[in-house]
Amino acid sequence: MTKYILKRIMYMVFVFFIMSFIMFFLYNLIPGDPARMEVESIKLKVEPEEYQRRYEEARKRMGLDDPMIVRYGKWISGILKGDLGKSQIYKEDVSKLIVTPMKQTIFINIFAISIALLITIPLGILCAVKKNSHFDNSVQVLTIVGYSIPEFIIALLFIFIFAVKLNIFPVSGMNTPNFSGTPIEMFFDRLYYLALPLMVMTIGSLGGMTRYVRAAMIDSLGMDYIRTARAKGLKEKVVIYSHAWRNALLPVITLIIGWFMQVFSGSLVVESIFNINGMGKFYIDSLTNQDYNIALALQMFYMILALVGNLIIDLSYGLVDPRIRVSN
Amino acid sequence: MNNEKKHNQNKKRSFLGLLLIKLFAGKEKLSLLEEEQMQSPLRTVVKNFLSNKLAMGGLLTFIIIFAVVIIGPFFNPLDLSFSETSQQNIGPGYDLMKYPKELEGKLKEISVGSTFSVGIDEEGKVHVWGKPKYSKTIDMTKIPSGMGKVVKIAAGYDHVIAINDMGKVFGWGSNRLQQSRIPDELISKDNIIDVVAGYQSSVVVTSDGYTYFFGNDSINDYSHNHEHQGQIAKVAVSSDAVLGLTLDNEVVYLGKQKGSYTKIPENMGKVVDLSATAATIAALNDKGQVYIWGNISEKGEDSIPKTDSKIVELNAGRFHYTAKTEDGKIYSWGDNHYGQSAVPKSLKDKNVKALYSGFYQNYAITEDNNIVTWGLKGYLLGSDDLGRDIFNRLLNGGKMSMTIGAIAVIISTIVGVIIGSISGFFGGKVDIILQRIVEIISSLPFLPFAMILSALIGNNMTSNQRIMLIMVILGLLQWPGLSRLIRAQVLAEREKEFVTAARAIGVKQMSIVFKHVLPNVISIIIVSATLDFATCMLIEATLSYLGFGVQAPQPTWGNMLFGSKNSTVIQNYWWRWVFASIILGICVICINLTGDGLRDAIDPKSQER
Repeated sequence: MTKYILKRIMYMVFVFFIMSFIMFFLYNLIPGDPARMEVESIKLKVEPEEYQRRYEEARKRMGLDDPMIVRYGKWISGILKGDLGKSQIYKEDVSKLIVTPMKQTIFINIFAISIALLITIPLGILCAVKKNSHFDNSVQVLTIVGYSIPEFIIALLFIFIFAVKLNIFPVSGMNTPNFSGTPIEMFFDRLYYLALPLMVMTIGSLGGMTRYVRAAMIDSLGMDYIRTARAKGLKEKVVIYSHAWRNALLPVITLIIGWFMQVFSGSLVVESIFNINGMGKFYIDSLTNQDYNIALALQMFYMILALVGNLIIDLSYGLVDPRIRVSN
Repeated sequence: MNNEKKHNQNKKRSFLGLLLIKLFAGKEKLSLLEEEQMQSPLRTVVKNFLSNKLAMGGLLTFIIIFAVVIIGPFFNPLDLSFSETSQQNIGPGYDLMKYPKELEGKLKEISVGSTFSVGIDEEGKVHVWGKPKYSKTIDMTKIPSGMGKVVKIAAGYDHVIAINDMGKVFGWGSNRLQQSRIPDELISKDNIIDVVAGYQSSVVVTSDGYTYFFGNDSINDYSHNHEHQGQIAKVAVSSDAVLGLTLDNEVVYLGKQKGSYTKIPENMGKVVDLSATAATIAALNDKGQVYIWGNISEKGEDSIPKTDSKIVELNAGRFHYTAKTEDGKIYSWGDNHYGQSAVPKSLKDKNVKALYSGFYQNYAITEDNNIVTWGLKGYLLGSDDLGRDIFNRLLNGGKMSMTIGAIAVIISTIVGVIIGSISGFFGGKVDIILQRIVEIISSLPFLPFAMILSALIGNNMTSNQRIMLIMVILGLLQWPGLSRLIRAQVLAEREKEFVTAARAIGVKQMSIVFKHVLPNVISIIIVSATLDFATCMLIEATLSYLGFGVQAPQPTWGNMLFGSKNSTVIQNYWWRWVFASIILGICVICINLTGDGLRDAIDPKSQER
């Protein structure tokens, strides 16, 4: 087991370096001269010779004349030390800037995922139990519709219905301006503002998850021990919720773990539509503002998240189901 | 006997009924053994698929959409550089020229505005039709009360000016640049005889030959102290200039700047009518000759047709002219993008009493008091923020979306098949290396990675290169799923006897892989490609929606929604996002239904899940 984990971590490190090198290479393809940008402001204040001297000094300090591999080494060692670089727009460290959007995203995602799980798991079980009934068939079609319609269309529709026509929820924003009250009131105010994005995120993820739970449940309902349980004369409820569901849970748990890894990465579409100041919007903004230092750092962050997530999912297979041996 | 009856009934079914039955109705139930005895596996798959109503419905709908977006653009080509400010954000419907029926027979005058028309009847009542609502405040139907009997009316870009029988002038509609607020000096006047409403401007003429201008004077060149005050009989406004016809039948320029408008042709003789499109001026003399000058474009404002008799009246739209001859015939020339200069054939042998043109609409009143209209009727699905026809963009955008999806899928399928089959068949070190690559790519977060690639590489690319880039990015990030499926299948297939046999007779490794093993996994490839096609279209739409995919003016279904992020558009201009969303949704649902149906047909076991 330890050997397997070590092997996986080694491999993760390898992938990380390769991908970071590729990203750094692409990043360097963009025309632009950060040294020139830095000294541009003093161009008119100083003599041309002085300006040239400062420019060259800046180039040297930033190491722009070094070969790419050296620059890459400097950059990646900075990243590993936690220095994610400086934003060109906000003129601040990325590692500081990232804190607020991160909090925001985690807050939303925990809610979205919990709600989605609360809906999909019972729905999936119900569909599996009533397999091929009208209820099941219509849910199946709905789930296809659910994962076929892109999130932004659902979002537009919901804004139109709930914010524009019915005027129940606000379209964007995080909380009522100048709102004061007890922390609990603050919390509910925030939830009120997040209602629409939460609904969209939940609906967007219903389709896939429901199908997954249903498939797992049908698999486990077809097992011999279910027949045995029924033959023993157990109540159907006990058969379903105690015998079948526990076994169907195994594959579902791995999926849930995978989902919880996504807590840190914001939804690009939903956050940009509802103007939520989370990770996804932060990433899009940095790309549209051409603030590539942030974009690159976030991309690295997403990648580490994905790699660690994959490892945890693989390990969790073994944890939830001892029959699976990870070391093979 | 009974049997015979049944047989006859079957025969009576119509062709359409039979077709529908063939397409959708369930097959006769056979036992598994019977089935196996009768048909090859492929036929079973086809039959299974045909009997799946949902999947067949999806496939048919998809084929229809596909055919429409592939064939449609040939009949309805896209003009990438097109934009028309006067046609912005017009709702769907063909009602721009749907005049109220009560006007028939007692019509006095019509004036055409950008997306609406106004008319007055003989009792002096004002009627408004078309699309007169621009916003909550700019609404041409809010006709001011207390005007009395209106005798003359003029519709402009987004406002209306009217004169009543007391010679008083009134204005309503947009007032952002004071174009519908009557200046104080005019309120006391009661001798106003003519009025013209142009682009953000209005000009009125009094009976003693004075002109008054109000509205945006920074784009409209007009000088109140022009030397012809007191001599003007009629004015014409283009979108940026004001010209007048004096009482001595001469054309004069009423502005300060010199330009193409001031190059008034000499020796025109006695000018009787003056008219202006958005950028050109036309004058008509008493001999029926037409002179045109100004900023003449390639739309053909100056290609005056030969007429059988003398032209006596001249009218102008935004880019076209219409003329009436003395025997009541109508001629038209200039831009014909909306059919506004195509005079209907029904007018050929009719005598036209009056003719009204403006922007893209024309109204002709025949002697028997019929109103004949031609020009832009409206937009089937509305128009967008640059005045482009949404239906046209949906057709052309659909072609682009489908092309991108299809090419991305082809790339990903080819890569996936090659890597999957090589990795599965050869195993060993090749397999290990290839599987690591697969893992690297599938561990990348898809959307952020596609975005950063498109932002970094596509930084300074032309729009066509960018489209290619999107196809390649989608194709190269999509294949790991398929390659895993293929690998697993090939691993199973390669142990079978036919592979051993092929090896034994010395077939080359590569041709065993691609000629012997691969055909056995073709069904998986088809299913996966179908589902991937839907995914690619979705991702392309999402990327374009976020602004990292295909960029305007080239339309795709995703980037047509790009501008509809704010709540004004969602609320007021619903047609700008509803139709694109619906068609994209339907298309992807249909592809997914087809893919699911195919999978069920190929692997009946999966149906049980």
